[in-house]
Amino acid sequence: MKWFSSLWQTLGKPALTLSLGFIAISAFIMGIVFWGGFNTALEATNTEEFCISCHSMESKPYQELQQTVHWSNHSGVRATCPDCHVPHDWSRKIARKMEASHDVWGWLFQTVNTDEKFEAKRLEMASREWKRFDRDNSLACKNCHDYKSMKWDSMSPLAQKQMKRAAEIDQSCIDCHKGIAHKLPDMGTARAPELIAEVGSGVTPSVGESYFSALTKPLYLDATSTEEAGTLNVATKVKVLETKGKRVKVAIEGWRKRIGAGRVIYFDFGVNILSAELSLDAAKTQNLIRTFEEKQDPMTGLMWERVEADIWTDADYLLGDIAPLWSYAKTTYSSSCSVCHTQPEEAHFDANTWPGMFQGMLAFVNMDQDTQALVQKYLQEHSATFNKDAH
Amino acid sequence: MKRRDFLKGLMSASCMAIGSTSLLSPLNALAAPRGRDEWLTTGSHFGAFKIRRKNGVIAEVKPFELDKYPTDMIKGIKGLVYNPSRIRYPMVRLDFYKNGHKSNTAERGDFRFVRVTWDEALQLFKESLDEIQTKYGPSGLHAGQTGWRATGQLHSSTSHMQRAVSMHGNFVKKIGDYSTGAGQTILPYVLGSTEVYAQGTSWPLILKNTKTLILWSNDPVKNLQVGWNAETHESFGYLAELKAKVAKGEIRVISIDPVETKTQAYLGCERLYINPQTDVAMMLAIAYELYQQKLYDAEFVKGYSLGFEDFLPYLLGKTDNTPKTPEWAEAICGVSAATIRDLAKVMVQDRTQIMMGWCIQRQQHGEQPYWMAAVLATMIGQIGLPGGGISYGHHYSSIGVPATSAAAPGAFPRNLDEGKKPLFDSNDFKGASSTIPVARWVDAILEPGKTIDANGSRVTFPDIKMMVFSGNNPWNHHQDRNRMKQAFQKLEAVVTIDVNWTATARFSDIVLPACTTLERNDIDVYGSYANRGILAMHKMVEPLFDSLSDFEIFTRFAAILGREQEYTRGMNEMQWIEQLYNECREANKAKYPMPDFATFWKEGYVHFGEGEEWTRHADFRADPEINPLGTPSGLIEIFSRKIAAFNYDDCPGHPMWMEKKERSHGGPGSDKHPLWLQSCHPDQRLHSQMCESEEYRATYTVKGREPVYISPEDAKARGVKDGDIVRVFNDRGQLLAGAVISKRFPKGVIRIHEGAWYGPVGKDGSKEGGSEIGALCSYGDPNTLTMDIGTSKLAQACAAYTCLVDFEKFEGKLPEVSSFTGPVEVTL
Repeated sequence: MKWFSSLWQTLGKPALTLSLGFIAISAFIMGIVFWGGFNTALEATNTEEFCISCHSMESKPYQELQQTVHWSNHSGVRATCPDCHVPHDWSRKIARKMEASHDVWGWLFQTVNTDEKFEAKRLEMASREWKRFDRDNSLACKNCHDYKSMKWDSMSPLAQKQMKRAAEIDQSCIDCHKGIAHKLPDMGTARAPELIAEVGSGVTPSVGESYFSALTKPLYLDATSTEEAGTLNVATKVKVLETKGKRVKVAIEGWRKRIGAGRVIYFDFGVNILSAELSLDAAKTQNLIRTFEEKQDPMTGLMWERVEADIWTDADYLLGDIAPLWSYAKTTYSSSCSVCHTQPEEAHFDANTWPGMFQGMLAFVNMDQDTQALVQKYLQEHSATFNKDAH
Repeated sequence: MKRRDFLKGLMSASCMAIGSTSLLSPLNALAAPRGRDEWLTTGSHFGAFKIRRKNGVIAEVKPFELDKYPTDMIKGIKGLVYNPSRIRYPMVRLDFYKNGHKSNTAERGDFRFVRVTWDEALQLFKESLDEIQTKYGPSGLHAGQTGWRATGQLHSSTSHMQRAVSMHGNFVKKIGDYSTGAGQTILPYVLGSTEVYAQGTSWPLILKNTKTLILWSNDPVKNLQVGWNAETHESFGYLAELKAKVAKGEIRVISIDPVETKTQAYLGCERLYINPQTDVAMMLAIAYELYQQKLYDAEFVKGYSLGFEDFLPYLLGKTDNTPKTPEWAEAICGVSAATIRDLAKVMVQDRTQIMMGWCIQRQQHGEQPYWMAAVLATMIGQIGLPGGGISYGHHYSSIGVPATSAAAPGAFPRNLDEGKKPLFDSNDFKGASSTIPVARWVDAILEPGKTIDANGSRVTFPDIKMMVFSGNNPWNHHQDRNRMKQAFQKLEAVVTIDVNWTATARFSDIVLPACTTLERNDIDVYGSYANRGILAMHKMVEPLFDSLSDFEIFTRFAAILGREQEYTRGMNEMQWIEQLYNECREANKAKYPMPDFATFWKEGYVHFGEGEEWTRHADFRADPEINPLGTPSGLIEIFSRKIAAFNYDDCPGHPMWMEKKERSHGGPGSDKHPLWLQSCHPDQRLHSQMCESEEYRATYTVKGREPVYISPEDAKARGVKDGDIVRVFNDRGQLLAGAVISKRFPKGVIRIHEGAWYGPVGKDGSKEGGSEIGALCSYGDPNTLTMDIGTSKLAQACAAYTCLVDFEKFEGKLPEVSSFTGPVEVTL
């Protein structure tokens, strides 16, 4: 250690024979050399070769990328790992590099070294990337893809419709294009993917505001319980009363029939448009349902009662606007229901006749449960019951 | 590099190019005919097939490997392509060619046509549409009357016609159909679904649980032979099991029907004869017995239905002083009171499945038997149990075969693309309705401006001046030919796009030849409702004569409108098929992985594997509150306040027996024309499709005429022998048919299958004379005789089954059959 203390002593002494200029210039040159070295090293970690030098990167994400249009396409332009996963802007690049040191930890401790381990962590890893894309509004995509340069005419009508809407609000690409370069994780609720791709997975709800459900959503008795207390139908309006963690307490207003346990809440008096279904326990729970006036439906002779249910649901899949849901439903109805015959006008039947006609024709139609429920509700809410002039 | 290495390299490169043509060559090359002698795959309403093509013609047809129960109609497939009824060239009716919209329309049907080029024909078509839209607006055009088309998701003819005509302008459309019009209207009020087009309880569950199976006016062995998509006949495997169980006495099958059906003969089951059109009376009597003897399931009625109390006063006779006793019914339906009482007991003693056919809702008040049967099933109380309850579709398109949940391929779009508008964008229907009940279009032509009741609304008939038909033959499926002739004289222009010179083409002004399914490439699902797999429909031969595919015809039409790119979305036939396949593959990727398109196209099909067993209405039975029916109340509606509120005299708030305008066996009109004409779906055709297949037709015709099935008693009384030509007649029309005397038919009932091609001849026996009102049908189309009335103010559906006739031995000079040889071609 003697050489070290003597070096330290030497370095601690002021320069006696070197001019300030020499020192400054040397420091400058040294700075260039060091900076260059650092940058070269940094850039070396910014190449595809570096990324896939680790086995788990090479065997899964890289292989998957090779199956996609980002790897091979008719224009011969290829996106490699850093193009999407490393920001171009310097300070954010450095931040990203710091963040990525976490991967070294993963490599050391072999967190994703087998297929099973990788798949088990895929959703977590993908979610982290999706969040990052969300934060910068999919900047990595937009470095190459620009809404302003898109040629609408060469797109399919559906693509045009979706892309124009996205362009108007400068939507984040990843909102709809998850899974475009790697396999989509099993999300458990990968329900109605086309619907969600069009309407989005919801906004952050605020207390006092009203929202519409983008999917059929589970209901809960409180902010934490995992036991379902019923379901909120798709495209149902709710008012947010309270938020807690990932849940919101909502008010569902509507009417119910005075038969059975009163578990089903409908959109309006005498109209079989489903808003929510409660479990038996929930229907019996004190203070969950507030009841108001009663009326008899002349078309069935059944008594109906106005109600409001205050109940919890997850904070996701709540939309601020119903228009995108109706737009998706209208397109789906017009294309799916014209395969065998001309689809009837929405206002050809009334709200209570549509379920019978729609359900009686479903056998030939490819629609998932959420889309079915949405299209039926669309038809009911645009039926002769609400559109008196049409025929 | 040595020369030798260079050559080696060159050789392996060229080998690669040959070995991988399917990947490197354009898709059109993939679609083009391959070897000289090979087996290709295709499908049709009649079945899926392997076809051997030799030297460019169809040499041999055998069933698709997964179709274990092919039908006799496979013998008719080749004749669909090669037959003298094919439309060879675009043609225009003589006087229309000369005078256009001012032509002498009384000549329509005289079958004199002029050959034109495709360009001329399509231009005339477009100019006709221009004239109608300019003069009358959208209410002058009806292009919404659609029918059974040929199979194939890309070339589906009605979609092409309507997309193309929609680019030009708006038009009148229809609601409902001729097969199930009354059923699909009444049942949503009663059981909350059309039922007729809904999936039914799986056959394995029926075979396992059902003890008594009632086939009510239902002939599945006849009707399951054809399907909406490529039919693979799996139902017949279950019917074979049923037959075995009937023989062992494990399942009792009772066929309630005026005639001995094909199904009854096949199963060897019991038959319960009933007078035609009287089923509601018998059902009421069974209900009466169930109620009086307290045999019905009061708990089920209370928990799952609404309005039983409102129905009881009528059943018990408190409203009309006529209790609906078995004795009361016996006098009407011809079934003894004792048999009715016995049947009531049988129905509740064990698991009972009722299967309704479609025929009895194709009669006046056709809503009633369907509603009343649902009431019976509710009183029996087994709706929602496996092998119990009621169904309305087990004879149709593989309903009841356990279905996969795979996605089927989509189709070429019928509608305009989002945001696109027609050239003539007026929506002014001049106060008339833009949608009319399917079977009332002839009424509309005859009485424009008239307002009728229909399903709770008021429909005002538009003043229709032009009609466009594609892959659809209303001169088969509509009623009363002579009335149709009168109506057609009021039309300025009629355009038909078809494969054959159907009677509809004969009564048109512009006729465009489409090719058959075997002359184009397409894609289809096979197994219809069971969705068993995806089938490649390979082109077997080039389109014959001047015919074109529907896709090509309307692409050319769209080009005249300057909208070709929009019409095709820039894709050709094979690109469309590949896209439909790939979309389907994407939708199925999680559960039903499918190979890439090239592999599929080469293999000919993708099979989805076994389906899942399922019980209709089980969810409703388990929890009627959470799984309500689609009725206004969510429950079975024995009494419908909604229908009652319509105030219709011919369809009140609960099922009711009502006398018919015409009814045999002592009913109205039977003194003049004593025989009931049963014009059910044919055994050896799909409606009128395949009637043109000559050699096959010859296997069932009598002296070249359509058979009329007659009881020995009725034949004897009129001095008619088997094989005689008879004239069948009533005040509406007359036809010739060949007598087949059969013990399967009771006295007072005759049958002529619908779909027999209308071939009118004049008094002189000529083709040209076919335009005369009152002309004789030389082949035997039963709709020459049927009545053109609505079932009721509710459905306004086809009521062909309310029809009385008589017949006599035909002694005059026998005219030639004029249905199958095309027009009298006039050269100018």
